[in-house]
Amino acid sequence: MPEIFNISQTPITAHAFNADRSQLAVSLNSNDAQILTRSGSEWAPSEMLTEHDKVITSIDWAPNSNQIVTASQDRNAYVWQQTPDPETGKIVWKPTLVLLRINRAATHVRWSPKEDKFAVASGARAIAICSFDPENNWWVSKHLKKPIRSTVLAVDWHPNNVLLAAGSADMKARVFSAYVKEIDERPAATVWGSKLPFNTICGEFASAAGGWVHSVGFSPSGDVLAFASHDSSISIAYPGGAIHNIRMPTLPLVTLTWTSEDTIIAAGHDCQPIVFSGSDAGWQEVGTLDNGSYGSGSKAGPGSVGRLKTGAFATFRDADSRGQTSSGTTDSKLSTIHQNTITSVRPYAGVPGQITQVSTTGVDGTLVIWDTASVSALTGRMAAMSM
Amino acid sequence: MDVAFRKIDIDVYDEDALQESELYDADNRDPTQALEEVRARQVSVRSLLAKNDTAGALTTILDNPPYGPNVEDAKTISLQTLLTILNSTKSTEIPTAINSLSIDSQDTLMKYLYKGMAMSGWADSNASVLLSWHEKLTEIAGTGCIVRTMTDRRTV
Repeated sequence: MPEIFNISQTPITAHAFNADRSQLAVSLNSNDAQILTRSGSEWAPSEMLTEHDKVITSIDWAPNSNQIVTASQDRNAYVWQQTPDPETGKIVWKPTLVLLRINRAATHVRWSPKEDKFAVASGARAIAICSFDPENNWWVSKHLKKPIRSTVLAVDWHPNNVLLAAGSADMKARVFSAYVKEIDERPAATVWGSKLPFNTICGEFASAAGGWVHSVGFSPSGDVLAFASHDSSISIAYPGGAIHNIRMPTLPLVTLTWTSEDTIIAAGHDCQPIVFSGSDAGWQEVGTLDNGSYGSGSKAGPGSVGRLKTGAFATFRDADSRGQTSSGTTDSKLSTIHQNTITSVRPYAGVPGQITQVSTTGVDGTLVIWDTASVSALTGRMAAMSM
Repeated sequence: MDVAFRKIDIDVYDEDALQESELYDADNRDPTQALEEVRARQVSVRSLLAKNDTAGALTTILDNPPYGPNVEDAKTISLQTLLTILNSTKSTEIPTAINSLSIDSQDTLMKYLYKGMAMSGWADSNASVLLSWHEKLTEIAGTGCIVRTMTDRRTV
């Protein structure tokens, strides 16, 4: 049974859990990040992180070092650490400035696996790789610029702490080397290459029908790259081998995560998490985590072009042709749990490589925690069309 | 008074400007080659329609269509040939014809339907044909097909 939490009435732009999942950091489409603490079956607000001047677009919480990084449209990022407040002695989150040197909004941020660096994707057609400079007590950045031609929408780190995948609005998914001399030791050779100085391109992929690359992800071993693009497709690229492109008959996916070496969970404008499975021989869509019985909306019939049968169109048509003024059933509620686009799916429980639960948040302000094992088939109904 | 004081077009020298051509792989056939190919297809489509092979005719015209900026004549002839096929199919046969197409062909068909609807003047007389094909194609290929028509830069 998925656990459903109604966090807010506003969209949840980003969410991140701490290591033991007792606390949650969210951006409710605002300049402040809210820290919520779990109390029983509710999430209660405990602290506000106020420092940014514009909407916080992305949050990541490093599980081992317990640091939070927030990136915002105000071209800044802050790293927050828990320290005792000098006056009251309480533990508070204190921000440290990060010098990103970007002249456009930051869109996405992720800690590296070792938590000594983080990558910030931005609209300045660059990715800022930030590492800590202990001399001056601030975070400094180096830019990955060539050959990015437009806004970078998503980043994901390879397990070796050096390679970085980036999805961009120039329709390409790329793998970069983000090797920082001062911080990293020479990485071992991988399928992506060896001897990789900073800003080397290890791979560049695109989907045939194009479209912005909304989300990228390395597999748990790092040998495979998956990316979801706006042409309603998900592609899985094996370096030096084939790229498997699955075209969906539904709306585009905007976020994805690997739960094991052969399974991906992705979600997007269809408001339900979809499971894909495969290997280098081929990939296919396996089903959905939302079997439609948890939500309270009406289900559209199989194959019906639902928009014309329910909702506003039907209300006016019924009023006109049959003189009925009320639609009776709650036609405007979707039959999925999420009532609007899911914007973020992240691993919740399990070890990397065997994730047992994932958490999703979306534009409807709900947080849902799903069991990755309960997969049901995608029926003929196209959930987002039954509006 | 001449207010255009710039003598050179400075936008072409802007390195950071994103060109349309960077966003997709260009069609590597040159205009004459594409035109010949389309005319050959037109002939084979006519013979297939005479034998009542709608599925074959559709596959012929939808496979590897001409796209991009410099093959305008080939694109127009391709669209007209497709429209003759669409007009000559009975509405009960449409679902079977669509089901026999590959995903690539279904996406290309959707692109041509939207192109047909966008053409002014012509669309009025053929709107019902285009709309009925659009409805059946959406039922089979889904909204993903429509999304791909909108994101794909390889315009037919």
